[in-house]
Amino acid sequence: MGDQPTFTLHIDQNKYLPIDGREVHAILTINSTGEVTTTTAAAPAEAAEVIIIDTSGSMSGGKIREARQAAATAVQTLRDGVHFAVIAGTDRAKVVYPRGPELVRANAATRAEAQRAIGQLSAGGGTSIGQWLQLAAQMLSAHPNAIRHAILMTDGQNNERADVFAAALARCEGAFVCDSLGVGDDWVPAELRKIAEALLGTFDFVRNQGDLADFFRKLTQTSMSKTVAELVMRVWVPQTATLKWVKQVSPTLLDLTGKRTDVNPLTGDYPTGSWGTEDREYHLCVEVPPGQIGSEIRAGWVKLLRPDTQEVFASGNVLAQWTDDLAQSTRINGKVAHYTGQAELHELIQDGLSARAAGDVDKATARLAKAKQLAVDSGREDTARLLDKVVEVDPASGTARLRRNVDKADAIELDTGSVRTSRLRKDGEGS
Amino acid sequence: MDHTAAPRADVRCPVCEAPVLTGDAFCEACGHPLGAPSCTSCGAPAVDADGYCERCGLRQPTGRDHTELALDNGTAGVTDKGLRRSRNEDAMALLSTDTQTIVVVCDGVGSSPRADEASAVAVETASAALARGLSAEEAFNLAGRAVGKLATSVDDAPACTYVSAVVEGGRITLGWAGDSRAYWLSPGVRPAAKDPTVDTQPVDADPTAGIRPADPAATVDADPAAATPPVDADSTAATRPVGTLPPAGTRPAETGPPPGVRLTGIQLTEDDAAPTGEITAWLGADYGDVRPHVRVLEPEHPGLLLVCSDGLWRYLDGYTFPPTGSPRDMARAMLRHALDSGGQDNVTIVLIPLGDAHG
Repeated sequence: MGDQPTFTLHIDQNKYLPIDGREVHAILTINSTGEVTTTTAAAPAEAAEVIIIDTSGSMSGGKIREARQAAATAVQTLRDGVHFAVIAGTDRAKVVYPRGPELVRANAATRAEAQRAIGQLSAGGGTSIGQWLQLAAQMLSAHPNAIRHAILMTDGQNNERADVFAAALARCEGAFVCDSLGVGDDWVPAELRKIAEALLGTFDFVRNQGDLADFFRKLTQTSMSKTVAELVMRVWVPQTATLKWVKQVSPTLLDLTGKRTDVNPLTGDYPTGSWGTEDREYHLCVEVPPGQIGSEIRAGWVKLLRPDTQEVFASGNVLAQWTDDLAQSTRINGKVAHYTGQAELHELIQDGLSARAAGDVDKATARLAKAKQLAVDSGREDTARLLDKVVEVDPASGTARLRRNVDKADAIELDTGSVRTSRLRKDGEGS
Repeated sequence: MDHTAAPRADVRCPVCEAPVLTGDAFCEACGHPLGAPSCTSCGAPAVDADGYCERCGLRQPTGRDHTELALDNGTAGVTDKGLRRSRNEDAMALLSTDTQTIVVVCDGVGSSPRADEASAVAVETASAALARGLSAEEAFNLAGRAVGKLATSVDDAPACTYVSAVVEGGRITLGWAGDSRAYWLSPGVRPAAKDPTVDTQPVDADPTAGIRPADPAATVDADPAAATPPVDADSTAATRPVGTLPPAGTRPAETGPPPGVRLTGIQLTEDDAAPTGEITAWLGADYGDVRPHVRVLEPEHPGLLLVCSDGLWRYLDGYTFPPTGSPRDMARAMLRHALDSGGQDNVTIVLIPLGDAHG
């Protein structure tokens, strides 16, 4: 192994298009070994971690105790040398540890000090998540070359105007990756989804507040396992083609299309955040001009690279070839079909839950019943089980109706979990 | 002003379109290498090392997609994948020795696996054998054996058609199986068949040298009447030699037609094919004991020997051969005609000049 992680990029697609075919779909699977030797100058990038705890009034009682425990666990999980800070969030953001505006390196002493400071946290005040994130961004900006990450937990609704929150998120984009957690049943998944989308992170539902410390430990461990800061996916398409979308489809759905930075008229960069040992999959769709039977084009040229050094870690070609052989052009690649289905499942759940919240029973029933079937068909048993708690489908007649008295936590879990996708088995091609 | 260091508005990076300096190796704006080969489709000088145009994306024709070959004696060949096939399964070989010009064209059978390998190994084996002085039949048999070796079973047997032409001192020796063809192109004059029953000038010291293959069933040459190809509906349609063609089996007119008369083509081979088009003979492990047709001809007037695959001859109905030009230009013009007519199949065209006309 060299001193950089090894990346492989594999492309699944059916390159054959019918004579009038214009859309090329491909699934990119990027595998990273994350292995970096620590003996060279190119040792793992430094890490900078900010832990953000909601200390608003709604957190009082058992919840603040669990939150203190969770933050302390996260601090304990930081490896030596990581720059870190802890922020308490209310209608304002306040640095709990250290005392100054700068991150400190983790060691036994600073970890102990931080845990003592966390022990003093008490609940009271409002919720202004945008402010918390902006303080984190400001502190992390002193470490531009580090793997910059934040963990945010909240139990309530953000009390900022939508445009203020959106502006705050826009200012934080690219400054760090943020994973967030919602606790209890009074938070709004849509708000944490916005954070995940803007800051390339995950968001999750901690249904049982006793599990909060475990969630914090896992998120911190995952963050500590990242070895490569900020890579971009550079995508070229032909002059006469259009890149319709670039989406991460595994482990979670994350639309990157709007995050493009133009490199030249044919090429754009899409952020992918930091990388450890992991597999991710992306779905590309390119609209190509009409082509001649038999001719082949490169419809997309994908490179995973470090924007600061322009070093390319992996690359691959998305191809298109026109044919009048229907047997070739009508075959749908198994992975493309699978992730198209997973994206559809996500949309059905989101549409269904929105319609349900808006009182549109017919639409909610239809969407959620269809989602149930898709979840069963694609092996999403957990999702199917949650859908079952929201919508009831008579197995004999297929008639569906919304259930009454749905546990709010079940709806939140369904909402939150819909961005997660299942993987296709290795032998699943064409299934 | 060509070497001025100032950016010129008309010199732009083919990828990002930023103005670039004449002579620069890279575009300052996007880093794209300049002076790359030009794309065959959009014309941008932006073909990268992988063979893709970095502007329009087209994979450039490579290797067998489009190949042109030429010999010092003017013989020229072109093979092209056509417009409807994903690869070129035709193959051609052109060789010259001190005294001979050797051409072999094979067309991979589309329904067989790895047909491109079959045709490639066949032309290579046969042309080398002919250059060593082996007979048309011997070369054919060696090629057949080489193609047979590609098979892993009779159900996995690469296959191809075959036509060979050896031109030596004005004499043409053809060998073939399947539906790849040879034509004689001349201003209305057909070559005399090298057969004692029709030709009054026997020059063949060795009567076994390919006129009469051992198995009469395998050759049309066993029938003297057929030694001069009958002008059947097909060849008439393909060549339209009407008017300048002497009756079958007779000598051509003593004096040729006046210069400027357009080239007519006479088919010199007969297809091994069913009326529906399927070929009935080929090289391949799934065809046990295939024998070639062999025919020897001696044209009395200058002309061109055309050796081609069905990707060309399917479009010869009503076609007017290019009247002038080098064999290479003529081959290109004929390819253009095949592509303009639909390019349904791979196209291979080889032209060997005989006599003065195109030498």
